[in-house]
Amino acid sequence: MSQPIKLSIPSDPKYLGLIRKVLQELLDKHDVPDDTAHRLILCVDEACANVIKHSYEGPCDEPIEATFTIEGDDFKVQIRDYGKQCKIDQIKPRDLDDIKPGGLGTHFMNEIMDDVSYCTNRAKGTLLTMVKKLKTELTSAQGKDKE
Amino acid sequence: MSLDLKLDKSGDAVTVVVTGDIDMSSSPKMRDALAPLFQNNNKLIVVDLSGVSYIDSSGIATLVEGLQWSHNSKHKFRLAALTPGVKDVFEIARLLTVFEVFDTKEQALAE
Repeated sequence: MSQPIKLSIPSDPKYLGLIRKVLQELLDKHDVPDDTAHRLILCVDEACANVIKHSYEGPCDEPIEATFTIEGDDFKVQIRDYGKQCKIDQIKPRDLDDIKPGGLGTHFMNEIMDDVSYCTNRAKGTLLTMVKKLKTELTSAQGKDKE
Repeated sequence: MSLDLKLDKSGDAVTVVVTGDIDMSSSPKMRDALAPLFQNNNKLIVVDLSGVSYIDSSGIATLVEGLQWSHNSKHKFRLAALTPGVKDVFEIARLLTVFEVFDTKEQALAE
């Protein structure tokens, strides 16, 4: 798939289900295994939720643009917002030993994806890019089956 | 998929049967259903997740809140029937051993 799939949703939590459904359809069409697809969908959902919470901080009518690309073994998603720019050096997962509500979204993205990067080199907002090698995930799952 | 919550009371126990996706949009609804249960005479609160195929960090956060409420109020708080997708999210969050997790609602109510 050389042509990226683009989807823009308003910054309203009620549209997170829509972006999950679209991505599920896309991953199904590429025969991505269910457990891998579930994890990729979680990462995209968490990234969009972070935009709603931290970039737009309330308004539900601001744009969140998602671009999905599957090329060879690489799944790439880019999430673009036009809200408050994130402070990249302050984005870090919380200590998992400290059991408390919240703060797990960044941990999920870092744990599941091979690469997570934020770019604020623009007039407004942030571009988040996440990449996952699908073949690595497949090989890993097959290896587990043999054990 | 919208979130549906049903309460099933039996003696000192109450089961919250959750159906649908738990995400940033729907987790406040689950929080609103759980919070009052820690202020009455229920000794055991079971959350039946057999009808939940998707949960995100906001849903996990609500259940962690429930766990904290249970510690403060001396209620028992248990999770039952996690679907594979939900269980995977708990594992990534390293929370599977933090909660009392049972394979079925019946086991959670019996032990």
